[in-house]
Amino acid sequence: MTTGTIFDIREFTVHDGPGIRTTVFLKGCPLRCAWCHNPEGFVRQPQTMVTPAGRRVVGQDMSAEELAGILNRQAEVLAANEGGVTFSGGEPLTQAEFLVAVIDRLEGIHVLLDTSGCADAHDFRSIVQRCDLVFFDLKLMDPALHRHFTGQDNGPILANLRQLAGLGVPYVVRVPLVPGITDTEANLTAIAEAIRSLSGLVGVNLLAYNRAAGGKYPGLGMTFEPTWDETQPVNASLAPFVAVGLDATVLGLRDHEGK
Amino acid sequence: MDTRLETMRQSVRDGDHKQWRRQITVDIVPECERENLSWVRRSARLTRRMCEAEQVVIGPTERIVFTRTIPVVPSLYSPSAWRAVTAGRKLHEMGPISNICADWRMVLEQGLLGRRAAAQAAREKFAADPQSVEFLDAAIETIDAVLALADRYARTARERGRDDLAAILQHVPGRRPRSFHEALQCLRLCHAVLWMSGHYHCGLGRFDQYMWPYLQADLESGRLDEPEAEALLAEFFITLNKDSDLYPGVQQGDNGQSLMLGGVRRDGSCGVNRLTYMALRAALDVSMIDPKINLRVTPDTDMCLLELAAKLTQRGLGFPQYSNDDVVIPGLVRHGYDLEDARDYSVAACWEYIIPGKGMDVVNIGAVSMPAAVHRGIVQGLRDGADFDAVLKCAADDISAQVKAVANTYHDLLLPPAPYYSVLMDGCLERGRDLSHGLRYNNYGVHGAASSSAADALAAVKRMVFDRNEVSGAELLEALDRDYDGFETLQSRLRTEAPKVGNHDDMVDSLLVWLFEQFAQACESYGDNGRGGLLRPGSGSAMYYVWLAQGHQGMSEPVVGATADGRRRGEYFSSNLAPSAGVRVRGPISVLQTYSKLDYSRICNGGPVTIELADSVFRDAGAIRRVAMLIRTFAQLGCQQLQLNTLNVETLEDAKRHPERHKNLIVRVWGWSGYFCELAPEYQDQIVERHVYALGEPVIPVQVKEITRHESKTRIDATGCLPVVPDRLQRPDGTY
Repeated sequence: MTTGTIFDIREFTVHDGPGIRTTVFLKGCPLRCAWCHNPEGFVRQPQTMVTPAGRRVVGQDMSAEELAGILNRQAEVLAANEGGVTFSGGEPLTQAEFLVAVIDRLEGIHVLLDTSGCADAHDFRSIVQRCDLVFFDLKLMDPALHRHFTGQDNGPILANLRQLAGLGVPYVVRVPLVPGITDTEANLTAIAEAIRSLSGLVGVNLLAYNRAAGGKYPGLGMTFEPTWDETQPVNASLAPFVAVGLDATVLGLRDHEGK
Repeated sequence: MDTRLETMRQSVRDGDHKQWRRQITVDIVPECERENLSWVRRSARLTRRMCEAEQVVIGPTERIVFTRTIPVVPSLYSPSAWRAVTAGRKLHEMGPISNICADWRMVLEQGLLGRRAAAQAAREKFAADPQSVEFLDAAIETIDAVLALADRYARTARERGRDDLAAILQHVPGRRPRSFHEALQCLRLCHAVLWMSGHYHCGLGRFDQYMWPYLQADLESGRLDEPEAEALLAEFFITLNKDSDLYPGVQQGDNGQSLMLGGVRRDGSCGVNRLTYMALRAALDVSMIDPKINLRVTPDTDMCLLELAAKLTQRGLGFPQYSNDDVVIPGLVRHGYDLEDARDYSVAACWEYIIPGKGMDVVNIGAVSMPAAVHRGIVQGLRDGADFDAVLKCAADDISAQVKAVANTYHDLLLPPAPYYSVLMDGCLERGRDLSHGLRYNNYGVHGAASSSAADALAAVKRMVFDRNEVSGAELLEALDRDYDGFETLQSRLRTEAPKVGNHDDMVDSLLVWLFEQFAQACESYGDNGRGGLLRPGSGSAMYYVWLAQGHQGMSEPVVGATADGRRRGEYFSSNLAPSAGVRVRGPISVLQTYSKLDYSRICNGGPVTIELADSVFRDAGAIRRVAMLIRTFAQLGCQQLQLNTLNVETLEDAKRHPERHKNLIVRVWGWSGYFCELAPEYQDQIVERHVYALGEPVIPVQVKEITRHESKTRIDATGCLPVVPDRLQRPDGTY
């Protein structure tokens, strides 16, 4: 029996892909993006969090059968409404074996992988091939800045992006806009340049900065320390993408910035 | 809306029309005593004197007139005489007939002169029956009073050079309207006189059905185009907000001006027409608390219609409320309604289904406290060391006893005569019998309140005490007795480890289903309600979810202290069909799947699945379509009624701090919508609390400042959050 750790299952997650979707948030992530708004996704182990509704444990161990069972009970509703299941996190690929076991048990449900791309190349390929759509987050093209703000090299991420382009699964590149950090003209131009000739790319989403990003940190005994001005409007510049012929849109979301 | 209508809307919001109100009291008691009038004649005299006392108000730009100038509806009897005529009898709420819906189709078709002719014919037919003659004379007195009022309006209009209005008011409400405009004016006046006669929660029924022939004729002949028609519609909706502060209700806004759209016709064919869409658009334009829009849907309802409705949902007014024809109609048929009548259903003030013109149902005689029944079963069962079946048996007996108690109270119900309302109903004049003697349908509605909390308590006991032996009965009893003081660990386990309603979990959902089965069984076996009708069980809560938890004057149901689901004394119960407050659910799909397990054919009194959506749901292109899909899913899964609310908890908090900035903020309270800043603080608080658990966001991204333990209120620091009112909702003047 394959067991995984999830920190939430949310239905009707309208920003997580087409149609009516249910999103599974898997716990654990190799990145530590300074702007992440889901800090309970950092570590794999369950944690106690203080929320407006009281204290609760975030993180629940679940077998693949159990999770697939919950999702399959909604299969009909999701299919009837042009939707499906989105696996997000954390970084879902940190639990690759579990994810494979869950996806293989789904009964005809559209599967979307929402990933940072920071994963083992083999795991990445194996799971993407089981998916119908991928949301691939790209944050910073400059290696040093990437290391500084996420704690990891972007080399493996870019390698997985190149790999993704050859797998035949459609994908959207999503860029979280953090004022003065990721939304610089230089970074956006570099991203546009990097993805302009990739095959399989179906769109680019720029995600507006989530000004409530720090909300969950105190509840986890953590501190949110933005080094940028949170009140500053983001530079939601589509020009670098339009210039290279890419179809890009800005989404004013709160949910998916800072993976 | 054009400038004229925008100005009119703002003027009504500002209360400019209240300048015409006169603080005089129409005292009819002396003349009634002098003439020794019977009750029915007094009722007619009241309508007549109220109409006579009205001063004509015609705003310079108004195209649909009538503004009430006499705020107070006087008494029919002196206090001592009133005590004498009602001695030993049960009155419903405030007394007068309320919470039903007139046969507006018939009223428009016949006109009041047509009704007068019907009354005259009946008077000859029943000449030998003094009671009938007296009733019919009373009815005629009211008709003449309304016609005289219309005539005064017409004459004044003529004097002021408003020949357009004068022509309309010389024709309606006496005769069948010749145009959509006349039909709206007719409805406005006839409806307003109901309230002036002391009736309340006066429904507007299936507006797009009975109004459509008039609009259709205008559109086809080219007398009116769609924008002109929508302007008239918007003005009509604005007029419904004029006098509504005078209407009785628990709070401002609780006035029952419900209006139904969509659904099948009496012959079963689809009744959706252009007016269905136009009315939704007008409600969106006007964005005021009245009328309260209801929409009938089926799994096959056109997505365009659902998307338009979703836009209204997005506006955050708390309506439309959705009803599923495929579930409601068979439920009504099972409860003795003729199929054609069942297809013609509307809603009473909030949720309860009513047949316009034919229903003298008293749709809300009270509630069964499901938590009280379950609590009793748990305490007694654990004390006796009995098994879980004994707990259930005791709870079922208690439900049955509560049903009997509330129904027995109404067995000898006294409905006061209502000659004017009788004019507007099907067959009263023709039979020579006042409405208060009953109509085709004379059932009573009872609500099973706080059902999810009750099922959660049962599930906690079953799981923790009986199935897993993890908690002893004695320990739980002591914990309940001490309101979990010193038992915080147990309380937390009951809250987090026991299954809760709303997650599509069969273990606990089956207990919810069981509770409603017992409730339905108790109602079905009660028999005649004393008026030749039966009991209709429902699933609404109104304020019961607060009152049953904290006590309230006039509630006979026992207040329940701490409960086995981990809820402490005083914390609110679940409302309508919604998970208990504080229960984490995955989202609306599981919630709908949970409540789709109920057998609504046995629970046909209404009471919605209630889902609060965070307004961030609407930030995305495509959100409207997704919400429309959610509404369709509600119907496809076979739920009965859906209330879908949209709000932003930070907006509510800001409105509490700065009411002056949010004068037009509208919220759904229970079966009705009101202006948030006009609600009493305790109502504001429980609405804020409800929205803290709004669905659609992973976790509310705000910082916790303070959680008060006993009050179960959550204080939220909105610092660093997004602007309180999303731009797209704002009008240029900053309102929305």
